[in-house]
Formats: sequence, C-alpha cells, structure tokens
Amino acid sequence: MEVQKEAQRIMTLSVWKMYNSRLQRGGLRLHRSLQLSLVMRSAREVYLSAKLEEDEEGRLGPQPCLGEEGAGQPPLQPAAAASPGPPAPEERAAPADRGNAPGAVDPEPMETQDSSGDAPPAAPAPGAGRRPARGVSLPPPAKASRKRRSSSLDKPGAAEAGLVPTKKARLEAEEEEGERQPQGQDGPFPSLAKVLQTRFSGMLRGGPPKGPEPTPGCRPGDGVLSILVRAVVAF
Amino acid sequence: MAFPDSDIISTVEFNHTGELLATGDKGGRVVIFQREQESKNQPHRRGEYNVYSTFQSHEPEFDYLKSLEIEEKINKIRWLPQQNAAYFLLSTNDKTVKLWKVSERDKRPEGYNLKDEDGRLRDPSMITMLRVPVLRPMDLMVEATPRRVFANAHTYHINSISVNSDYETYMSADDLRINLWNFEITNQSFNIVDIKPANMEELTEVITAAEFHPHHCNTFVYSSSKGTIRLCDMRASALCDRHSKFFEEPEDPSNRSFFSEIISSISDVKFSHSGRYIMTRDYLTVKVWDLNMENRPIETYQVHDYLRSKLCSLYENDCIFDKFECVWNGSDSVIMTGSYNNFFRMFDRNTKRDVTLEASRENSKPRAILKPRKVCVGGKRRKDEISVDSLDFSKKILHTAWHPSENIIAVAATNNLYIFQDKVN
Repeated sequence: MEVQKEAQRIMTLSVWKMYNSRLQRGGLRLHRSLQLSLVMRSAREVYLSAKLEEDEEGRLGPQPCLGEEGAGQPPLQPAAAASPGPPAPEERAAPADRGNAPGAVDPEPMETQDSSGDAPPAAPAPGAGRRPARGVSLPPPAKASRKRRSSSLDKPGAAEAGLVPTKKARLEAEEEEGERQPQGQDGPFPSLAKVLQTRFSGMLRGGPPKGPEPTPGCRPGDGVLSILVRAVVAF
Repeated sequence: MAFPDSDIISTVEFNHTGELLATGDKGGRVVIFQREQESKNQPHRRGEYNVYSTFQSHEPEFDYLKSLEIEEKINKIRWLPQQNAAYFLLSTNDKTVKLWKVSERDKRPEGYNLKDEDGRLRDPSMITMLRVPVLRPMDLMVEATPRRVFANAHTYHINSISVNSDYETYMSADDLRINLWNFEITNQSFNIVDIKPANMEELTEVITAAEFHPHHCNTFVYSSSKGTIRLCDMRASALCDRHSKFFEEPEDPSNRSFFSEIISSISDVKFSHSGRYIMTRDYLTVKVWDLNMENRPIETYQVHDYLRSKLCSLYENDCIFDKFECVWNGSDSVIMTGSYNNFFRMFDRNTKRDVTLEASRENSKPRAILKPRKVCVGGKRRKDEISVDSLDFSKKILHTAWHPSENIIAVAATNNLYIFQDKVN
C-alpha cells in the first residue's frame, strides 16, 4: 500500500513537472521530458503491480491472466463484460507503449489504451464518475491472454478495430466535449500541450503534491497517464 | 546574498596554453581572464588571473514560428588553438554557435589631416597635402568581434561543441543530431549523426554530450541518456548512425529504483589528453573507459554515493536533473568533478586516493590551503564532518576546468568563479 501510494505520488509529481517544464524559458526540453516520462513509467508499473497484488488479495478466486503484468503484449479483443463502445479519444493502442498488460482488465481509467472494447468511455473531466469503488469484484476478463501482436496493427481494418490511433477520432471527441484548444501550438509539443491543458488544469491549479499522503486530487492523473507518457515524447 | 540569475556561470574553459580562462553565464556574457606574467619582483603572485575581456555573446531571441523563447545562456565555450596574435573561441547557446575573435589593440593611427578636430570632413579644396597617419601607442584595448555566426541548424537544444584536431572543422550536438561545420562556412553544415526516430513516440534516448578525439580528426564520441557511449569514425560513412564502438556497462540489478534510468544518463564525456581513454559522468559516478574495452569501464569513482538513498527528494527538488561536468588534469592522472554544497572532488587514478574540497568564501582566503572536507553518511558525526541532511543542494558545482599543463583549477560555484593553484614552497 505504501509502495502504491509512493508510486502514485511520484506519478503526480511527474505530471506536475511536465506541465511546469512547458513554462520554462527556452521551451520544453526533450531530454527532461524523456526523463520525466521514464520516471512516470516506472512509477506506473510499480503502482499497477502493487495494485494488482492488492486486488488479488481482495478478490474471490484467482484470475490467472491478471498475473500477466507486462509479460507480453495483450491482444486487442473486445471484452464482453466491460463497457463496449467506440474507443475513447484517449484510448490509443499505441505501438510504443507496451507495459499495460494488466491494465485493460481493470476498469480503472488508467489502462485505457490497450483495447477497443474494455476501456471505459471517454470522460471530459478526468476521473469523473467512472471510478468503481475498490473491492468491487471486477467482471471476469473476456480475453484469455492479452498479448498484443504488433503485426495486427498493420492489418487492414486495424483502425476500425481501434487498434491504431486515429487523429480524427480524437479531434471529434474533443470537439464533442466542447473544449476549445488555444490558438497556436505550444512550440514543438502540441499534443502534449493539448493533453496537459485539457486533462490536468484542475489538478495543476492545486500545485504539486506534497507529503506522502496522496490527496484525492492526485487520482485524476491516473486516467490519462498512459497517454501522457507517450504524449511527452510525441511531437 | 541575492544575485541575478543572469550571473550564474554556465561554462568554464581554459585555452590550449592556459594563458586564458573563459567563462560564460546565463545572461549570455563571456568573461575572459588572462594570467599575469610572472615577475621576479613579486614571486608570490604566481600568475594570477585578471579580467581581460568581457562581451555579450548571445542575446535572448524569439522563434516566432514555434512561439518559443531562445535562451541566451552560454552552454559551452571552446577555444581554437592560437595561430596568430588574436584569440578565437566558439560560444554557443541552445540554437546558435558563434566564432569570436578576441584581439588587442595598443596602437592607434593618428595624424589624419582630412578631418577637423571635431571630426567633420574638411573641404577638399582647402587641403593642399596628404599626411600619412602615424601609429602611436594607446592604452591597451581588448576587443571581441563576432567573426562567424552558425545559426538555424539545430531543431533541438545544443548541448556540446567540439573543435576538431584538424582545426578546420568542429561539431555541434543537440538532443538528436550532430552537425559538422567548417569554420569558413556558416550557411551549411553536414549532419553526421541523427538518432531521431521516424515516430517520435518511439524515442528512448537522446544525445547528451559529444567530443572529437584529440588527435584523430576522423573519430568522435557521443554519450546518451541511457548511459551508453558510441565512438564513430567519419571515414566509415557520411552519416555516422552506426557506431564503430559501443560502450555500455550492464546495470546492477540491486540498484534499481524509480530513478535508475535517469541517474544513468551521462551528463559529460571527455577524452583524455592522450586519446586512449574517455571519462563519463553520470549522476552519482565518474567512469573511465579504455577505448579498447567496450563492455565495462576500467575505473569507477563514487562522487556522492550517499545521495543514492535520497533520490526521491532529489527528484522533487529537481536536483536529480543536474548535469555535472568532469575534467582531466594535464597528465591524465587526476580527474575532477563537482558535487553539492559547493564541494568538488578529485580522484587520483594512480594512488586511488580522493579528496573533497569546498569552494566558498569562508574557506578561500588568498593563499590559504583548502582543507579536505568529509560528508558523514551515518552514525556519529565527527567535528569537521557535515551530515548529508545539512548539505546545501542549491550550491552546486557543475562546471570546472583544469589548466592544460599546470595544477591550476577553475571552479564555478553558481555566480562565483574560484581559481585554485598548487602551493608554492
């Protein structure tokens, strides 16, 4: 639990630092952004594995595939039990990010990019109304194994299956959410700027997290960390 | 004591003879110190360094296309070897490299008869003879003029420049690319390394430092944020994306933490004067590598290992991102690097002894001997020791320089420059 809290705190701290690095003179620094994303990725992996262990303890009966944490690349199959529907804009099956194996089963918004079906629907505000209470038994996973095969991304129809991110979907969804993006991109990191502005404005106004206790304000960060990690280096 | 941010020294470099010492600061200024000639009258003043020239090298700029401000901070200064009476140096900020000529003027032509005393041109019909002006002595004036401006070649932030041993070319390195320039040509450069992935989402490492071999003009090295060093040979191909040698030490799994990856990032790489070794600095250690052995360094020195358990706090206060430099002495027998609390460390490669010294006003009365310092890592703290928790992390020594042939060192402590010499008996 302590490990999980610490990991969460580090993740939130990293997001805050990423946001602030945009405000520095000289613009975003690629090396710094990369380092921040690496720390966030490590923290997220620890967080997820700690969370899984905790969830396993609380759950009745073993779920074998939950143990596959980062072991392989999950296949992208729609999960019957989780909320179906079109991929949310932030759910991108980006080939670059491989470490999210256990996440897609968990309806927590953290693991949003892995599949078309089992990710939670888009939410305009991070974490708003989507988070199940802890201890609620998760729906049984529909997929037996979550190995994602990169070759599937090249197949025709991959986009339709939600395997490949489409810019169109994201723009449409963001327009649906009624958010206005600022005119003019912020230097060489327009996608990062967008993500940070739309997702974290509330959290960031509160300033950096302090102390070992994560406040509820930290939680919204979970939902889009996976995108953020990639957004940091995508420009 | 408050001081403006612009006074923070960002680079220090001796020239090839050690006669001159250049510093660059965050405000874009370059200050050059010159060593006094030693005189028999004052033997104890063993060639002190005095200000020789000060000039504004870079100004803040604005990239309108990207809506980005370009900092004027001088990231690196490198001297060219002296070939005539003038001195030449390269200075760079994040985007633009400039070649500066620093020259002395101690004579002035006088005796023109074409102008009045107040400078107005005389009526030509009133002039009946032409008088040749005569050079007369004047007070020494040192002037710096920008001779070349090498701009618009870097998308990312320049972290290194290095003059080639052919003295005709130099390279500039940013996060993803290294360009080769000819000193005479400012509107073109050759790209010799490009590690930018086709899909930026797949980016995993950046270039952190680069340097030419001191003697072989075809060879250079560059270090990465993953703790690796690549040696490249420009004869092999025009684009040196494929390395000739790859230096990497396997990670110690017992040291893994959230921050393992970022503390392994190399912040500086330097060839030894002999050209046989390279030295690298990462957050906690300095390593010496033999060019003939790629799988591990031949020497590893712990700079401040007591910080290993404090990495989380250092991440919070951003200190974990500090980029320390490292230097060789003239004979490659001693290496030096900075730390926190205005401490800097020297490691003798032969005796394996090391010392921690402090650059501070209190400890640096002129001609006083520096007392070795010690950090207490736990247990009982002795009288002169300082505990880890008392270290001042805002006082960091990132930039140091060693005279090419003598035991004179320059240490930049935030906005102050300290110059230390061996004691003369």
